[in-house]
Amino acid sequence: MKKEMFEPFNSSDNNFEQCVKCTICTVYCPVLEVNPDYPGPKQSGPDGERLRLKDQNFYDESLKLCLNCKRCEVACPHGVKIGDIIQLARIKYSKKKPKVRDMILANTDIVGTMASTFAPIVNPIVALKPVRLMMDGVLKIDHHRIFPEYAGMRFETWYRRYAASKQTDFKKHVSYFHGCYVNYNFPKQGKDLIKIMNAAGYGVHLLEKEKCCGVALISNGLIKQATKQARHNVEAFKKSIVDKNMPVISTSSTCIFTIRDEYPHLLGVKNDEIRNESELATRFLFRLIDSGKLKLVFKKDYRKRIAYHTPCHMEKLGWSVYSTALLKMIPGIDFVSLESRCCGIAGTYGFKKENYKTSQGVGKPLFDQIESSDIDFVATDCETCKWQIEMSTTKKVEHPISILAEALDVEATVKLWQK
Amino acid sequence: MKFDNIIIGGGLSGLTCGIKLAEQGKKCAIVSSGQSAIHFFSGSFDLLGKMDGQDVKNPLEAIKILPDTHPYQRVGIENISRLVVEAPRLLDRAGLNFFGKADENHFVLTPMGIMKPTWLTIDDFTRFEQNDAFPWKKAVILNFSGFLDFHTLFVQDGLKKYGVDTQIKNFAMKEFEAIRRNPSEMRSTNIAKVFDSGDALDEFAQKVNQLSEGFEVVLLPAVFGLFTKNVALNLKAKVNKPVVLLPAIPPSVPGIRSQILLRKRFEELGGTYFLGDNVEEGTFKNNRLVAVQTNNHGDIKLEADQFVLASGSFYSKGIVATREKLYEPILGLDIDGDTDSEKWLDEKFFNDQPYMHYGVKTDSGFRALKNGKPIENLFVAGSVLGGANALKEGSGAGISLLTSLHVAEQILK
Amino acid sequence: MNKNISKEYDVIIIGGGATGAGTARDCAMRGLSVLLVERHDFAAGATGRNHGLLHSGARYAVTDHESAAECIKENMILRRIANHCVEENDGLFITLPEDDISFQSQFVDACKTAGIGTEIIDPDFARHIEPSVNPNLIGAVKVPDGSVDPFRLTMSNALDARIHGAVLLTQHEVTGVVKEQNRVTGVELFNHEIKEKVKYYGKIIVNAGGIWGHHIANLAGVSINMFPAKGSLLIFGHRVNKMVLNRCRKPANADILVPGDTICLIGTTSERIPYDQIDNMFVSRKDVDVLIREGVKLSPALAATRILRAYAGVRPLVAADNDPSGRSISRGIVLLDHQERDGLSGFITITGGKLMTYRLMAEEATDLICKKLSVDKQCETAEKSLPGAEKSEHPLSIATEKVYTGANISQKSAKDRHGTLAKNISNGDNYEDSLVCECEGVSIAEVKYAVNELHVNDLIDLRRRTRVGMGTCQGELCACRAAGLLCESSEKSGKAKDDLANFLQERWKGMLPITWGEGINEIQFTSWIYEGIYGLKPDNN
Ligand SMILES: Cc1cc2nc3c(=O)[nH]c(=O)nc-3n(C[C@H](O)[C@H](O)[C@H](O)COP(=O)(O)OP(=O)(O)OC[C@H]3O[C@@H](n4cnc5c(N)ncnc54)[C@H](O)[C@@H]3O)c2cc1C
Ligand SMILES: Cc1cc2nc3c(=O)[nH]c(=O)nc-3n(C[C@H](O)[C@H](O)[C@H](O)COP(=O)(O)OP(=O)(O)OC[C@H]3O[C@@H](n4cnc5c(N)ncnc54)[C@H](O)[C@@H]3O)c2cc1C
Ligand code: SF4
Ligand code: SF4
Repeated sequence: MKKEMFEPFNSSDNNFEQCVKCTICTVYCPVLEVNPDYPGPKQSGPDGERLRLKDQNFYDESLKLCLNCKRCEVACPHGVKIGDIIQLARIKYSKKKPKVRDMILANTDIVGTMASTFAPIVNPIVALKPVRLMMDGVLKIDHHRIFPEYAGMRFETWYRRYAASKQTDFKKHVSYFHGCYVNYNFPKQGKDLIKIMNAAGYGVHLLEKEKCCGVALISNGLIKQATKQARHNVEAFKKSIVDKNMPVISTSSTCIFTIRDEYPHLLGVKNDEIRNESELATRFLFRLIDSGKLKLVFKKDYRKRIAYHTPCHMEKLGWSVYSTALLKMIPGIDFVSLESRCCGIAGTYGFKKENYKTSQGVGKPLFDQIESSDIDFVATDCETCKWQIEMSTTKKVEHPISILAEALDVEATVKLWQK
Repeated sequence: MKFDNIIIGGGLSGLTCGIKLAEQGKKCAIVSSGQSAIHFFSGSFDLLGKMDGQDVKNPLEAIKILPDTHPYQRVGIENISRLVVEAPRLLDRAGLNFFGKADENHFVLTPMGIMKPTWLTIDDFTRFEQNDAFPWKKAVILNFSGFLDFHTLFVQDGLKKYGVDTQIKNFAMKEFEAIRRNPSEMRSTNIAKVFDSGDALDEFAQKVNQLSEGFEVVLLPAVFGLFTKNVALNLKAKVNKPVVLLPAIPPSVPGIRSQILLRKRFEELGGTYFLGDNVEEGTFKNNRLVAVQTNNHGDIKLEADQFVLASGSFYSKGIVATREKLYEPILGLDIDGDTDSEKWLDEKFFNDQPYMHYGVKTDSGFRALKNGKPIENLFVAGSVLGGANALKEGSGAGISLLTSLHVAEQILK
Repeated sequence: MNKNISKEYDVIIIGGGATGAGTARDCAMRGLSVLLVERHDFAAGATGRNHGLLHSGARYAVTDHESAAECIKENMILRRIANHCVEENDGLFITLPEDDISFQSQFVDACKTAGIGTEIIDPDFARHIEPSVNPNLIGAVKVPDGSVDPFRLTMSNALDARIHGAVLLTQHEVTGVVKEQNRVTGVELFNHEIKEKVKYYGKIIVNAGGIWGHHIANLAGVSINMFPAKGSLLIFGHRVNKMVLNRCRKPANADILVPGDTICLIGTTSERIPYDQIDNMFVSRKDVDVLIREGVKLSPALAATRILRAYAGVRPLVAADNDPSGRSISRGIVLLDHQERDGLSGFITITGGKLMTYRLMAEEATDLICKKLSVDKQCETAEKSLPGAEKSEHPLSIATEKVYTGANISQKSAKDRHGTLAKNISNGDNYEDSLVCECEGVSIAEVKYAVNELHVNDLIDLRRRTRVGMGTCQGELCACRAAGLLCESSEKSGKAKDDLANFLQERWKGMLPITWGEGINEIQFTSWIYEGIYGLKPDNN
């Protein structure tokens, strides 16, 4: 289908004029449902954009209440990029300077580097109640929040020490964009990925130097820095994809969504050369299996009842089908699907004191669903959803890749392609 | 990704077609670029309401004299007689209770206070036997303060014709204070969300009882039961006199509930529903469509044995008009419509607009035509079909339901 | 039924365009008793169907020195007295590769002579200050053009006339002129609202009927030779340009792009039409094509911008008395004293000119009236601000610094529409702040204000006062809400339904020539809502 483009004002296909005012988006905005001070997707997006083009004084700081979950875009029958319009308006018109707190939350990699270096010290400190109250009072980071723990050894360090050398043994290769969370907080997820990919016959390599994808910088208004990092990452991806013919996979739905869609739409960083070959690990695996190029063998004794939660960015990407299809391939899994709803965290949004109530209100229907379904744990592709669900329910959350790694019969799988 | 059947468009026709196929054990996928026209639905499915401007009494009879090019004629009167029985049953299995007869239209009250003939009406709403009488003499019309999408004075004016003595009352409830702070979002769906959860309904019912004292019937906007079923029925049980609900300006609460339940039914039957994804093009081989490519899945093409195009009319972008030409944007199918753009529109807004008749061309078995040749495994259903002005004749949902079930039968054959 | 009112006014003004309203204001300010009669609504004629360009005069500098000088003078006056109707966005006269750049110096010289400030700017700088401009431009001159909202301007004049004691009657059509021998003494009117005939008497009857003045003059038994020139325009869905864009060449078709409020306008075509066609404002597809083709040369972004409506107006051009063929048409102001010209006393005609010069036209007409009535009072309309244009107590920035508090959008919009009079629009109440029109930010309070204060008879009038239904949806959601509110105030719900149907038809008329793409999607949706769900039909009531 020929794409109609309306981009005289910015670099995204910012197409507010395709809106026919059908009001459908207003039904699905999770914020509007709990916080009436938010004008809603229709007013903030297409309607507001028209007024802002008349006079930028129509910009309203309440637009920062938008979670950028893009659920409105998924619902819109006319392909209006409502979320993009709102984010672009914030970038273009917001006069509010990011606070120190926002800088801290946004700079996941710098803070991560510092914190993981001192993980044994930082973790207990951040967990201490007085410290949390201090963060609440001074930094306006809500004291209910439990900070994700920082790992003692960064994933990158582990990889160089223990995994790198073995990767050249394989005939086929991919690069892995691990993201900040895997690096600083949860290296296990990266290790699980390597386990699966190696079992599938792929060597896994790190990019020359990856930088944080910048999603938190964007949502906190640190656009210059985000753009710089985006340019850097696109170059790093090119070295892998274009120069070495190695696709890039990731385990973070948010990172990959940001790199594929937000870079060009919000930051104006072109990524045409790398977009198609940057994807989620589950999609990469699904494609191999679907086209008959790979078969995974699972352990006979793995038995679990799990529910899959569709993170907002997965809903927008439309890719949860890959993760769930893989999970459903595990014979011992009793699969429960949850109604697709926002968990409310939206990256750093839910960490802010002023958003805590909205954030938990948005997530409540999801938490209720999780609690009432008798499951062992929740599976999801997004790390911030994981924090939110683990904090707000009694259930643990696992990444599909970790579940696959756990259930995989590595030897049997390897045998299939080695002979 | 391989399926037995893939349906493009997840509106009324796409979903009912998918449900029927999935009920017969087919592995189906529906791809829908966005939410559908059911979100605006009045509460009634029309079969045939008007002919030459006159109300139709017996749609099944009247269908017989429609022109040959009409989609109903192509389904065939015998098939129709069967499918009109099947359709409400299929909806019923999805948890949607519709009532009405195909050989005798009933009437529903529009928000303009007009009696409109229709076929099936969802249980939220009241069905009337006659178009020239209202069964009650004293009615109270209630509205939520600040709800602008329900026009009580129009209802009142309409009811005057039937000699009904009416009074209008607005009332406020503390549950709505929050949403009323927002100047644009006191919408039907946001009111419904309040009643979906929590116990506002009890308090509300009490209020209705108080306000309706001395009246025989209560009229209210249809804002009950968005994500939760049976809210409207619960309300009716709690109010001590008949409650007549009237549709409001979109979004439509019963419509969205219908969409959700249909999708749920489809997914429970094992169907896969891709929302927010756009089918962009197809791969044809030997007059067959072998795969389609979507925006989200890119190089992972969706393959199937049969495909159904149910992408809706202009409104849903199933058909696109540019300055000079009409086209079907996904697969480039042949269009049944005027090539001369000067002829698309009538200068009177309320006249029979030519563009309303336009759609995709098919053969007699609803197979899509491309460059004049039928595509063997590509069927077309719903409002993307040409050959009728569904608005003027009151046949919107009828065409969607019956052509989609008919097409499903063709596939199952 | 006939009613005759015996009271005699000093002046009866026929026509509620800018000229009529301006004359009513001037006369009332000079202490005359005034009756203004308008057959439809204020600004329903050429005034509401033009380009809304606050000419600097530059467009006429080379071809019509006198008009240019008039324009710049009035331009400066309007910025002062009507600042709430004016947007001071400046204009660019651009030279494209296909134009003759040597015209630029001739143009600048002519502007200088007329007193119009110009500044030749570098194409790079032009692209910087106006990003939407055709990037291929080879020259640009900045001039003090602007935009003027004709609806607001006319209404403000009418309001001020009323404040000074004038009586205003809309929906009153002049169907005859009452004469006693060679003297006009009154008018015979048809009241469209209650379908009644009525007569009013006045010492001086002013024909400010625009192009229809030809017919009104005939009713009085005199003749004016008018040559209707139809011009078509397109409204785009949003504001593409910040500054007015003109071509730096001799005036031609479709070479001005004017930003105004939420939209921008390209125009105009120009075509002589027979007099019997002046009420047929059909815009042909061919006109649309010309407008798009030429518009894109000014700003290429227009090619990808949605068109909301097409409309046309008729310029009231008058043939010089000594040249009935119409070959030498004057674009200047025409003031006819029919006593001198035709021996018919008590009757004058004021026409020609431009929206820009309405005030000057009013002044000249009022001077003549005062002379005839021997009233010795000076014109003050150039000094005294119109209602709404007084210095604002609440600058916009204060309103916008507040965090969103619900009514924000409608408050800001109302301030733009009504100037300081927006203070009469209540806010802070949840109900009153609710948006009727979501595209243009019109609240219930604003609708109520318009209905109570601004002579609103129907939805179409309401649109002219508030922009209800002028946004992208063209009434899809708001028409019904507004009709409901009108219905509350008039308590005639049957009429309100007809009104709604008429409103939809009126909106449709403007969409017809440009309905494709999103337009056709949206109109199908609108039809389903009103006809499908609501069951609305024009013949229902
Ligand atoms: C406002 C409104 C109110 C109506 N009310 C009634 C009523 O009360 N009663 C009645 O009988 N009829 C009503 N109708 C008529 C209605 O059109 C039909 O009844 C019926 O809903 C049409 O269903 P459909 O499935 O054919 O099309 P739609 O409901 O239009 O669904 C088409 C779907 O296809 C999707 N699609 C389009 N292109 C693509 C693509 N490239 N890739 C993937 N997906 C795509 C669209 O996003 C959409 O979801 C109404 C119509 C409108 C517009
Ligand atoms: C396409 C176009 C573009 C233009 N662009 C510009 C521009 O950018 N800038 C500018 O300055 N000027 C512009 N003009 C010129 C300007 O619009 C007119 O000169 C000006 O509006 C004329 O105002 P008026 O009040 O004299 O006439 P009108 O506005 O036509 O007023 C006449 C009024 O008389 C009423 N009437 C008619 N018959 C009767 C009757 N029998 N009884 C009672 N009332 C009656 C009519 O309903 C009407 O309201 C443009 C004109 C056109 C056509
Ligand atoms: S869903 Fe899309 S078309 Fe409908 S109102 Fe929202 S943005 Fe506009
Ligand atoms: S992106 Fe999410 S939070 Fe933002 S407007 Fe859309 S639905 Fe609402």
